[in-house]
Amino acid sequence: MRAVIAEDLALLRDGLTRLLRDNEIEVVAAVGDGDALVHAVLRERPDIAIVDIRMPPTFRDEGLRAALHLRERTPETAVLIVSQYVEGTYARELLADGRGGVGYVLKDRVMDVDAFVETVRRVADGGTALDPEVVAHFVGRRDDRLAALTPRENEVLALIAEGRSNAGIAESLVLTVGAVEKHVASIFKKLGLPPSDETHRRVLAVLAYLDSAC
Amino acid sequence: MISRLPLRRTARALAWAVLLIDLFVLVVWAASGGGRFWPVWVWLGTGLVVASVWWVGESTGGFRRLTGQAVLISLFLIGVWAAAGGGSFWPVWPIAGLGLLLGLRAVTRGVQNEARVEELTQSRAGAVEAAESQLRRIERDLHDGAQARLVALGMNIGLAEQQLAKDPEKAQEHLAEAREAAGAALQELRDLARGIHPPILADRGLDAAIRALTTHTAVPVSVDVDLPERPPAAVETAAYFVAAEGLANALKHAQASRIDIDVHEREDAVVVRVLDDGRGGVSEAGGLRGLRQRVEALDGSLRIASPEGGPTVIEAVLPCVR
Repeated sequence: MRAVIAEDLALLRDGLTRLLRDNEIEVVAAVGDGDALVHAVLRERPDIAIVDIRMPPTFRDEGLRAALHLRERTPETAVLIVSQYVEGTYARELLADGRGGVGYVLKDRVMDVDAFVETVRRVADGGTALDPEVVAHFVGRRDDRLAALTPRENEVLALIAEGRSNAGIAESLVLTVGAVEKHVASIFKKLGLPPSDETHRRVLAVLAYLDSAC
Repeated sequence: MISRLPLRRTARALAWAVLLIDLFVLVVWAASGGGRFWPVWVWLGTGLVVASVWWVGESTGGFRRLTGQAVLISLFLIGVWAAAGGGSFWPVWPIAGLGLLLGLRAVTRGVQNEARVEELTQSRAGAVEAAESQLRRIERDLHDGAQARLVALGMNIGLAEQQLAKDPEKAQEHLAEAREAAGAALQELRDLARGIHPPILADRGLDAAIRALTTHTAVPVSVDVDLPERPPAAVETAAYFVAAEGLANALKHAQASRIDIDVHEREDAVVVRVLDDGRGGVSEAGGLRGLRQRVEALDGSLRIASPEGGPTVIEAVLPCVR
C-alpha cells in the first residue's frame, strides 16, 4: 500500500512516516501544506492520503479543503483526515458525496498503533472511519427518521459511523453476526435507503446519522 | 457607552423637520398672495437653530478647530462692519452668539468626556479582572489536568523501562497506562483550547461556528448571520461567545420552544442578538456576568431584557474599530 502524508509539524510528520513504514505501508511523499499535498497526490496517485486539517499558510482548514478537492480530482485516492480536533460540520462535508474511502479521526488514535493502521487500511480499501468523538457529538439528537430506530439499532448505527464491519459490531455489542445483519437491514429500511452496494448504503446511513442533528 | 450618535441623529431629524416647516412657510406665503418675501427670515432663524445644534453636536471637528472657525467668522464680520463705514457695532451680536455656542459645546464635551473616562475606567477594570480570572482558570486546568497526566505518563514509561528486562508483561501494563494518560491529557488540552478559541471559528468564521453550536440542540434554533466581511478577531470571538453563552442560557433555563440567533452589522458595530420564547426572568450571574465583562472590554454594550414570562433578549453591540 502507498500513502502520502500531509502534516506541517515535522515531529508528527516524521513519527507518522515511521509508524506507517514499520507497518508495511509505503510513504511515497510527506509534505507540509495543502498545495504540496495536491501536487504529491496527483503525481504519485497513492492509495491513501493522510491529511492534517490545520496547515500553512493560513492555519485554518486548508488540509480539509485540499482533501475535498482531491475527492473530486482523484476519486481513486482515499482520504483520512487526522486532526487535533473533530467538527461534525467537517465530517458531513467529507462524506457528502456518498462514496466510501474516507475517514476523519483524532490524532490521539495514533497511539493505538494497531487500531490506527487498521483504520488506514480500511479507509484505503474504500471503507469509512469516523472518530468515536464525532459520533458522540450526535448522540441524543432529534430527527423523525432516526426516532423510528430502536435503541439497539441506534447503537449499531453509531458503530457503522465509526466504520466497523458487521463482524466488528457483533464483537463490540456481544451479538451474533446474523443478529447484526438483521439490525443493519432494518436500519437501511427505516432510513429509506435503496438497495445498492453495501459500502454506499453504509455511507448514506452515516450521513443520515450526521444530518439528523441539523 | 456614551455616543455622539444620538445627538447627530437628533440634528438630522431636526433638519428634516425644519425643511418641512420652511416648505410649509413658503406655501403659506404663496397662498397668501406673495408680497414682501418674509419667509426668508423664518428660513434664517430655523437654519441658525439647525446649524448650532449640528455645531454643538459635531465633535469630530475638535474644539480647537471650532474655536478657530468662530474667530475667523468674527474677524470677517468685523471686517464687513469696518468696510461698511463703521457705525453702530452690530457684529457684537453674532460674535456673542458664537461665544455662547462655543461655551455650550465646551460644557457638553466636558460632560461627555467625564462620563467616558468613568466608563473606560470601569470597563478596563472589568477587562483586567476577566483576563486575570480566565488565566487563573487555565492555569488551574493545566495544573490539575494535562500536567498531572503527563507526570503519570512519564512515571509509567519509567516503570516500564525498569521492568522491561525482568517482567515484560508488567512493562506492557505500564505502557498501556502511559498511553491512556497521554490520551486523557490530549482530551483535556483539546477541551481547554476549545474554550479559549473554538477551531471552527478560526477556520470558518462566525456563521459556521454558531451553526456548529446548534447541531445537537433539543430546541430548534434559527441562525442568521449577515456580515459583509469577517470582523476583527477579538470582536469575532466575543460575538461567538455571546451567541454560545446566550444559547446555553436559553437551553438550560428558559424552557423555550424556539431560539433565534441573529448577527448583523449596524453602524460600524457587530450586533449579536439571542432571542428565546421561554419563561424569562433571567438574572445576570455566572456566565452572563463574564459575558458582560468580555463585551465591555471591547467597548461594547450588553443588554439583557427578560421579563417574567419571557421572552428573553440578550443583545450585544460590539464596535468594530478596524
